Amino acid sequence: MSIDQTQTGKKPRVLVAMSGGVDSSVAAALLKDQGFDVIGATMQVWDYSKNRVEEADDCDANGTCCSSDDVDDARWVCDQLDIPFYILNCEDQFQAEVIDPFVESYLSGETPIPCVNCNTFLKFSHLIQKMKELDCDYLATGHYARVVKGENNEDLIQTSEDGHKDQTYFLFTLTKEIIPKILFPVGDMNKTEVRRIAEEKKLVVAKKKDSIGICFIGKGGYKGFFEDHVAPDLFKKGSIILYPENTKIGEHEGLHGFTYGQRKALGVSFTEPLFVKSLDMETDTLILCREKDLYYNKVEVRDCNFFTDVKKGEAYRVKLRYQHKGATCEISNIDEDGKVHLSFPEPQRAITPGQAAVFYSDDKLVGGGWIV
Amino acid sequence: MSRVFLDHNATTMPSKEVLQAIKDFASWGNPSSIHSSGRSAKSALLKTRRAFAEVVNCGPTEVVFTSGGSEANNMVLKGVARRLKERGQNVILTSNVEHPAVNKALEQLALDGFEIVRVPVCLKTGLDYEFLEKSLKEKNVGLVSIMKANNETGEIFDLKRIKKLIDENTNKNTKDEKIYFHSDMVQTLGKITVDLKEAGVDFASFSAHKFYALAGTGVLFHKKGNGIEPLIAGGGQEKGRRAGTENLLGIHAFGVQIQKLSQTEERATQILELRDHMEAEVLSKIEGVHVLAQGRPRTPNTSLFIIDGTHGETMLINLDLLGFEISTGAACSSGNPEPSPVLMAMGLSHAEASKSLRVSLGWQTTRDEVDRFVETLVKVVTKLRGL
Repeated sequence: MSIDQTQTGKKPRVLVAMSGGVDSSVAAALLKDQGFDVIGATMQVWDYSKNRVEEADDCDANGTCCSSDDVDDARWVCDQLDIPFYILNCEDQFQAEVIDPFVESYLSGETPIPCVNCNTFLKFSHLIQKMKELDCDYLATGHYARVVKGENNEDLIQTSEDGHKDQTYFLFTLTKEIIPKILFPVGDMNKTEVRRIAEEKKLVVAKKKDSIGICFIGKGGYKGFFEDHVAPDLFKKGSIILYPENTKIGEHEGLHGFTYGQRKALGVSFTEPLFVKSLDMETDTLILCREKDLYYNKVEVRDCNFFTDVKKGEAYRVKLRYQHKGATCEISNIDEDGKVHLSFPEPQRAITPGQAAVFYSDDKLVGGGWIV
Repeated sequence: MSRVFLDHNATTMPSKEVLQAIKDFASWGNPSSIHSSGRSAKSALLKTRRAFAEVVNCGPTEVVFTSGGSEANNMVLKGVARRLKERGQNVILTSNVEHPAVNKALEQLALDGFEIVRVPVCLKTGLDYEFLEKSLKEKNVGLVSIMKANNETGEIFDLKRIKKLIDENTNKNTKDEKIYFHSDMVQTLGKITVDLKEAGVDFASFSAHKFYALAGTGVLFHKKGNGIEPLIAGGGQEKGRRAGTENLLGIHAFGVQIQKLSQTEERATQILELRDHMEAEVLSKIEGVHVLAQGRPRTPNTSLFIIDGTHGETMLINLDLLGFEISTGAACSSGNPEPSPVLMAMGLSHAEASKSLRVSLGWQTTRDEVDRFVETLVKVVTKLRGL
């Protein structure tokens, strides 16, 4: 990719969101090679010193579990690339836009996916503002996604070259206006290639493990996180009911430890494998079922954002969680408030409220919303 | 164009004499050794000790070398606290604008059962001496720790007045009721003249890198007759008050720079003129700016601007990219800029404190640099306000 000079004749300037991981590090390196004026920045979103995350003692030299180390890695990479590096304090925004809604969603019985809000409100809102304030022409991230031109020369988001790593699922809330301002330098590559470049350039993060899971959930898992961040009286004990018999088969210590489709650590013994079918927050009841009862062929999606118009009767491939490979469905109805009803010819397993339903047309991101 | 460094309250560039002294450094022996190399190193230490004692008006044996201001602060606060515990005095008086090296050390002491009383420093009226006096009268105070000059606003506090209040509220007939008086004087060297006898303190902390020498070197003034337990136990260095082989290179470099402390008054006059010029320019060219603690005694090099319609973090990065090095408040070890707790303690809201910009001039700062800075600041503020 070659770059266009800006009207002033200066090199275009790009703000690169650097996590300290290999993808954003390579993104910065590639942009520097392409002749951009590159500025690296890490968002300080969470005070790890006050949270359980750093208690993890099983991280090895290349591990990713200690996020203050990630800041040092990002800084080191910027030194290697000879570009300026800054930390942007986003703790307040992260608390308000990511953590608080995450906790609220969980307490309402959903299984939230905070990475979407982080992208929506931090990376592609707060950082876009920073991009403008620092006279940058573009914002770049290490997402596995591509920006391409559509039929009418509009900018669209396309899935990554590396289908396994594709992260467009987390990008459905972006606005059309900012897409032309975004660069995804590693979106045309697969992970192996990205690592090869990191090694060639001798970037200190070349061998660093990929981060998995949610950045602020530490060793204590979701359960530990909620126990640390939510008043204990909000966790109410309740009954475990078996569907469809509607018989009580046990008791639980609080619904915060469970998610839809969960099989392990249910706290009951039964003659066949059981799964979480749903959580009833009003009666503090955990409803379990057999695997065959986990399947649905209808889903409702709220607060949708679409890059192109969608209509009743149209068919799309929809991903119901990040690792879901996607399933074909039809828009059976669109309510006046914008809620979209989908019907799947093939029933889908453990459709989980709080996760995102993300729509694709071929490999183009059409938009998405939140599963009700 | 060369970069402009306007962050001298965070640190200072070593002077050319200091850089030369590093090259010439030869007293590498262990000062505790009896042989010639050891004696030579011991003599070098003594030379710096004497030179420092002379300029700050104390005795050479009252100078304890430390690793910096933070260690000096911790040493005196924790050392005195042990004394106070033995005597049953459980109240420590301090201000609400102290450096974290004092503030966090006191938070640790609070966990040990001490009551920490923080004298407010108000935006409009400064240090509340009446509150201080009332606390001295009403509480079983054993230690007063108040900084001489604030690192963020530059505000200077009247130690003589505080000492007078301490004396008026100490029962001189009972030795046990002595109230210890410590001052963090890290921000004084090269900015205001220091006379420890006149200040009337029992302890004072200093740092070499704030005065054109090296980081990793500090001094605790430790007035005779105030024996406290060392923070770092071990060998008998520094007359048993601070164990560990001394930082010979840092102390030597500091010793060379100390020779220039006698120029403080003259330099301060020049810097004050520059600072006043800068403030006048900023206030006349940018609307919606005010200077904290303006009109009260301040170190001559420091301006803390609150600039409406901006965000300190973004201002700082913009200015850095344009070659100007300043700060939003205190330098933060993590590089993660947060609104200053000191400014918020003084009564600024979180939002107001986020709009702060600290400019601290140094001995080498020129009028041209100040003018270029103001010109750039005007551009950056105009741009950010226009977004």
